[in-house]
Amino acid sequence: MSVQALLTEYGDKYLQALLTTWRLTAVSFAAAFLIGIVITVLRVCPIRPLRLFGDFYVQIFRNIPGAALLILLVYALPYLQIIFPYDVCVLIATVLIPSAFCSEHLMSGMNTISPGQIEAARALGLTFFQMIRRIVIPQALRSTVLPMTNLLVATMLTTSLASQVPMRPHDLTGIVSYINTRDAGGVTAFAISAVLYCGTALVIGRIGSLIDRKVRILR
Amino acid sequence: MTRTSIRDMLYEAPGPKAQKRIRFFTGLALLLLAALLAAIIRQFSVTGQFAEKYWSFFAKITTWRFLGEGLLTTLKAALTGSAIAFALGFLLMRGKLRRNRILRAVSTVLIEFTRGVPTLLFIYFFFLVVPKTGWKPSAFWKITLPCAISACGVVAEALRSGVNAVPKGQTEAALSLGLTETRLFYKVVFPQAFRFVIPSLIAELVIVLKDTTFAYIVTCADLMQNAKVLISNHDAMLSVYLVVAVIYILINYILNKISDRLALKLRRMPAEGSKA
Amino acid sequence: MKKLISLILVLALTLTAVAVLAEETAATPIDKEAFDALLSEGPVAADDAIAASTWATKVKEAGILRVGGTRTSFLFSQLDETDNGIRGFDAALYQLLARYILGDASKFELTQVTSSTRESVLTEDQVDAVFATYSITPSRQEVISFAGPYFTSRYAILIKAGNTEITGLDSLAGKIVATQAGSTGPKVIEEYAPEAIVQEFEDDISARTAVEQGRADAYVTDYTLILNSIVKNPGVYALSEQFGNDDPYGIGLPKDSDGVAFVNDFLKAIEADGTWAKIWKITLGDRTGIEEVPQPPVIE
Repeated sequence: MSVQALLTEYGDKYLQALLTTWRLTAVSFAAAFLIGIVITVLRVCPIRPLRLFGDFYVQIFRNIPGAALLILLVYALPYLQIIFPYDVCVLIATVLIPSAFCSEHLMSGMNTISPGQIEAARALGLTFFQMIRRIVIPQALRSTVLPMTNLLVATMLTTSLASQVPMRPHDLTGIVSYINTRDAGGVTAFAISAVLYCGTALVIGRIGSLIDRKVRILR
Repeated sequence: MTRTSIRDMLYEAPGPKAQKRIRFFTGLALLLLAALLAAIIRQFSVTGQFAEKYWSFFAKITTWRFLGEGLLTTLKAALTGSAIAFALGFLLMRGKLRRNRILRAVSTVLIEFTRGVPTLLFIYFFFLVVPKTGWKPSAFWKITLPCAISACGVVAEALRSGVNAVPKGQTEAALSLGLTETRLFYKVVFPQAFRFVIPSLIAELVIVLKDTTFAYIVTCADLMQNAKVLISNHDAMLSVYLVVAVIYILINYILNKISDRLALKLRRMPAEGSKA
Repeated sequence: MKKLISLILVLALTLTAVAVLAEETAATPIDKEAFDALLSEGPVAADDAIAASTWATKVKEAGILRVGGTRTSFLFSQLDETDNGIRGFDAALYQLLARYILGDASKFELTQVTSSTRESVLTEDQVDAVFATYSITPSRQEVISFAGPYFTSRYAILIKAGNTEITGLDSLAGKIVATQAGSTGPKVIEEYAPEAIVQEFEDDISARTAVEQGRADAYVTDYTLILNSIVKNPGVYALSEQFGNDDPYGIGLPKDSDGVAFVNDFLKAIEADGTWAKIWKITLGDRTGIEEVPQPPVIE
């Protein structure tokens, strides 16, 4: 099928799919970011059980395959009588996995802070939380703009998991499967989705570099 | 500076009041975590998930052998996919570093394309579209190739950053010694670049391995598919999927640990002739 | 490293402990010996019958029967991982067909298909025949040909035990009804309960799990599959209503292949000598508690 024909027939569905993917990505990233900060704070706080919990959380969610996590959420959890609607399941998966990577990025971002600052802060009598809030996190965030940009793109790629559950409206990957079962969409159906994904990734990358150049800490 | 240094520095040598506070909160945290664990176990038993029929077949060696066969296919797909991704990524990297503008542009477009498109889309492409063109790869290749294509862009960029990290002085010295560009690349630059890049290549292997879990779409008999056989044979969804998830997590965890160890070792080992 | 090894050991020990302490309980398992004996006693075709069919000759020359089917359909074709045997109604048929052509019931190669790939594996010559509780429909007959029918089943509605809201076809209006993607389910629901909201699932177990978990209100599929779900999980599900005409299952073959006549001869042979009835009893009757063996459908 030609691009023209595809667009006239499914153009509105593609737009809907694009918006669905964007919405999922934005919401997931925001939530993952917040959780990532919380988990990172847990991983550096003086209470050992919390540190272990944070490390454990990160190891589980950066190593579990997205498909396995989604299947557990959708099919297995209900046996424990915890039933979430499909879109919530997808959201949980697209939040938990990036949150683990977010925490990893923040940890490496923290290591770019010179220890002298921490010593000075302690000498000045700042408590743990004050140090975290005023010194560690702001600088960690500024050094991790590029990895976080990559994480945003990775989150968008993870949202393709939505195609694996009967979710309406479709996301950009699910729509291709939908079109292909009803029409001989062929390569063009894929090309449109692929271009939309790529385009979004490129735009995100550009914006990310701009922000990075502005807030980068020169040492 | 090792990874944990900042962590430890944030609160070293607390005074007596702080120590009491820490002990209190530690106890509280332990209680909370224990309560969480208890709640999970309770939910399992309340819903009857500890029932015999869901776990008894795990005592049989045939169950593990069967899972093992699936795991072998998964590992084969992951390793083959990574190898192909490396080969493709290498070509793309070379293309991007060439002086020829067209070659550079094409390579850049291909790299950005494979980095910006989710693996699932590539998998559906191989599943739905490729067979119609007359080329009929087996189920194994229908999962390995899309995973490889999806990863090659990232590999190309990682290799490129490795090559850029090799000190320029080496290239200049090699050129002044009369080595041709090709020889200097393969004998001087690339071996060092490769060493820098090994940890991120292993990280990419982990990603490819995670992507192979979508093999059920193309009906390739990997670990997940074999799990489905167990599930329909014994009607035990939760237990089987949990065990399979744990297997994946353990394997990826081990791979990541290997990557970290290698990263440490390589950083300490000075590259031959470099100023590091 | 030590921590990791001890963690793995603890996990393994816990799992083994739970597994060993548990006893084996299951719904009536299949009589493996009777099944395997049946396979080794099946008829073998005469050489000239094979030579007369290009489809059969191709299979004979390849030395193996390529089958499109499944390993996860408990009643019809289920892989038993303890001995790598595939057993079930469909499984019996294709293994007997392998013996019929090649003299040995084990000379087959199974390619996993889903309800959306059953036609393409035939049109692209990836398999010789498809045995997958495959309903004969006119739209499918435009793309491939069917031998048989070898089995008939009506449709039925599966609901959660204790669900008093759904009393039959009419009460499905506005409810979420699960069905298998690519099967005759969606069309049947459209015909008999057009006001229902259809949700498609990849396989039987996902669809009925959805009903069990309350994500769907009912599951419409072939009666035999529903009976299987009810029998394997006593007390969980209930049957609401059987409806519709008899849904005939056929064996998928390439379009207009002369294999259709050949396989039909095979089916008539096993129906005549009582093998069909024995298969039905071992794979379906004994496991679902139905005593009366039905008559095999008429092959035109």
